[in-house]
Amino acid sequence: MSAHTNSLLFAMSAPPYWHCGRTVCKRSMDQLLALAPAMVMALINWGLPALRVVALSVVVCVLVEVVCCAIMHRRQTVHDFSAVVTGVLFAFLLPAAAPWWLVVIGAACAMLFGKMLFGGLGDNPVSTPLIGWAILFVSFPLFMDPNVMQLASDYEDPLAVLKYLGVARAQEISLVDLLLGRQIAALGAGQIGGLLVGGVYLLFRGVIRWQIVLGMLAGVLIPFAFVHSLAETATITPTFHLFTGSVVLCAFFIATESNIAPTHSLAMILYGLTCGILVFLIRSYGSYTDGAPFAILVASLLTPYFDLVRPKPFGVR
Amino acid sequence: MKELFTMLTDPRFHLVSNVRERFGQGPEPTYVRLNREGFSIDAGIKKKTLVHPYMHLATHPFAGKGDLFAPMYGEITDITERSVFVRHMEPTEEMKAACEAEPMTDILACEERGEALVPVLKAMGLNTKSLGQECETLIVNCQNPDPGVTWAEPMLLTHTRTLAAGLTMLRRLSRAQRIILAVPEELKIKVHDFEVVPVPSRYPASVNALVVKAVTGRERPDGIGIVGLHNVWSLGHVAMTRKPLIETVITIGSLSFTGNYIVRDGSTVGELLKFARVTLSAGDTIVRGGPLRGESVDKQDRSITKGATGLFLVEKGSVAPMIGHSPCVSCGSCVAICPARLRPDMLSRYAEFGLHKRCLEQYISSCLECGLCGYVCIARRPVLQYIRLAKAKLGISVLKTEGLYAQEEATTTGEARS
Ligand code: SF4
Ligand code: SF4
Repeated sequence: MSAHTNSLLFAMSAPPYWHCGRTVCKRSMDQLLALAPAMVMALINWGLPALRVVALSVVVCVLVEVVCCAIMHRRQTVHDFSAVVTGVLFAFLLPAAAPWWLVVIGAACAMLFGKMLFGGLGDNPVSTPLIGWAILFVSFPLFMDPNVMQLASDYEDPLAVLKYLGVARAQEISLVDLLLGRQIAALGAGQIGGLLVGGVYLLFRGVIRWQIVLGMLAGVLIPFAFVHSLAETATITPTFHLFTGSVVLCAFFIATESNIAPTHSLAMILYGLTCGILVFLIRSYGSYTDGAPFAILVASLLTPYFDLVRPKPFGVR
Repeated sequence: MKELFTMLTDPRFHLVSNVRERFGQGPEPTYVRLNREGFSIDAGIKKKTLVHPYMHLATHPFAGKGDLFAPMYGEITDITERSVFVRHMEPTEEMKAACEAEPMTDILACEERGEALVPVLKAMGLNTKSLGQECETLIVNCQNPDPGVTWAEPMLLTHTRTLAAGLTMLRRLSRAQRIILAVPEELKIKVHDFEVVPVPSRYPASVNALVVKAVTGRERPDGIGIVGLHNVWSLGHVAMTRKPLIETVITIGSLSFTGNYIVRDGSTVGELLKFARVTLSAGDTIVRGGPLRGESVDKQDRSITKGATGLFLVEKGSVAPMIGHSPCVSCGSCVAICPARLRPDMLSRYAEFGLHKRCLEQYISSCLECGLCGYVCIARRPVLQYIRLAKAKLGISVLKTEGLYAQEEATTTGEARS
C-alpha cells in the first residue's frame, strides 16, 4: 500500500470543480472599467473638480468599509473593490462643485446605512449610493442641485430649461450636446455617451441584466412617446428625457444592482418598467426635475413583491 | 439570450468533442481496491487468497446489482467493511489455468427475456437496476454526461459493434415499447432499426431530466425511463467478450490532456493518472466523475469503480479557490443560469443557516443537481453542496429514488465511493 500513498497533499472541495472564473473582485473591475469612459468625459467637461469629488468619495467609502469590518469583527472585504465602485457611483450623482464636507457626509452615510449595517455587500435591500444621495438630497437640497452649484458653467440644465423656460427653448438643445455631456447635471450622470458605452460593455460581460435595462428605458420612453404623440400642445421628444438627468446612469448602473432588483426574467422586466414609469410620473407631475434616483428607491422597495412573479420550477405542475 | 450574455463561454461545455479514437487499454494495475459495500463475500475468499481475472468474489443481495469479480492476477491483501484490496502478482501456471477455465457466457445467445434475464446479467457483473426500468418508453442518453468527458462519440461512432450488441440486449431486457436514442444534434447517425432523436448538446443538456424533456417536450413525464450510454456499452462489452464485467470506460483529463481508456475495476487514481502521464502537484484536486458533478478524492490510492465516468485533475490555480465561509453577494448569476428555474441563492442561504424547511418552499426537490449554480457563483460558494446538504437533511433523495436519475446515482454517489 505504501507504494501508492506518497506524501502529496491534494485539495478537497465541493463540486463543481470547474468555475467560470468570475469573482466579486473581477466584477468590480468590470464595473470600474465601464465607468471609466464617463469619468474621462466628466474630466473633460468639468475639469479637476470632478476628479476631486470622485477621489474623495472613493477614499471615504473605502475607509468606512475598512473601519466597519474592523469594528464588527468581520472578515475584511475591502479587497473586493466594491467600495470603490460605490464611491465612484455615489460621486457620479453629485454636482462637480460639491463642497468636500458634502461628499464626506454622503459617502459615509451611503456605506454605513446603505451597506455595512445590513451586513455587507449584497445584503442591502436598497441601493448603496442612492442611500447617500437621498440623505443629502433631503438634508441639503440646495447643495445637491447641480443647477445651483454650477453657476460658473456655460452649460445649461436641460430639465430646468424644460420646466421653467418651456418646450420651445428645450427643443433647441441638441441631442449631440446631451450625449457629449455638455449639460448641467450631476458630474457623472450627465456623461451620457460614456455611460452608454460602459453600460453596453457591462451587458455583454453579463454583469448586468438586459431585462432591467431594457425595462427601465422602455418605461421612460413609452409613456413619454405616448404623451408626445397624443398631446395637442407641443411636447418634448421622449429621447430628451432619456438623455437628461440620471436616467442612463440609473438604468445601467444603479437599477441593475443585483441585490436590489428581482432575479427572474419577467420580474426584472416589470421592475425595470416600474422604475421607468415612476420617472415619467415624477417628471410629469412631481416637483423634482430628474426623479430617476427616487424612482429606483421606490421600485427597489417593491422587489420582494416582484420576486413573487416567478416561473414554475422544473417539473412542478 | 443566456448564451449571448456570457454565462457559459467555456467551449468545453459543448458536449460534442469530436473525439473519435478507439478507447485505449488502461494500465495493468499493480494494486486495486474493489468496492464491496453491501456485498457478501463468497465462502473461501479471504486474506491471502490468490485471485485471477474474472474470478467470482462476492454477491450483492439486491437483484439489480451485479456480482463482484477479481479484475487481475494477484493476492487479496485485506478485506474490510467497504473494500477488498488486491495486490498484483505474476500468475503461476495454476492461476493461469484457473483463469482459462472460467466459463464463457454468450449472453446474446441466451433465450431469456425481460425479468428472467436479470439474474443472468447479474452473474456477469452487470447492474440492471436502471436498465430494466418499468416504463413504456426508454430513452438512451447518448451524450457525454459532463463537460470534459469525451467517451460518448467513440461509443456511438467507433465501437459500433459493442453498441449494437448492447442495444440488442437492452431491447431484450427492457419492457419498454419504444427505445429512443437521444443523440447530440450535430451527430447524424443511424443505428439499425432504433429511433434516433437529436437533442441539444450544450451542458446541462446531458442531465437526464433535460434529455427527457428534449425528447418528449415535457418535464418529468410519467412512463419514461432513461438509461446512460455508459451502461449500454457495459452490456455490449460483456456480450462481445462473453466474460464478466471487470472493466469500465473513463475519460482521463487535465487542463492540457484528455483521453479515453478501458480501465480495470478498482484501479487507483494515482496509477491511472500516472499512466496517462498527468503530473500531480501538491494542491491539485483529483476529481472522480465529471468536473461539474463529481467528487474530489483525498488520496492517490482511491479507486475507480464500474460506474465511474471520468477522472480529472484540476490544477491548483486554474480555478479560483473556494475560501471558507463566503457570503452570497446576491449577484443573481445562479438564478439566471439554473435550468430548473430555481433560486439557488435562496436555497443555499437557507441551507447555510439551517433553515432546511424553507428550502421546500423554494422547490428544492426540482433541483437537477447540474452544478451550474456553483460554476457561475462569483462568491465561489459551494452552492450545489449546500443544496445537497439541505436535501439530505430533509430526507429528499430525488437522485436516488427516481428511475430518471438512476445513472447519476450510480456515478456520483453509490458506486463511485470506495
Ligand atoms: S444544481 Fe443549481 S443550477 Fe442546477 S438545477 Fe440545481 S439549483 Fe439549479
Ligand atoms: S451566484 Fe453565488 S453570490 Fe451570486 S446570487 Fe448565487 S449564490 Fe449568491
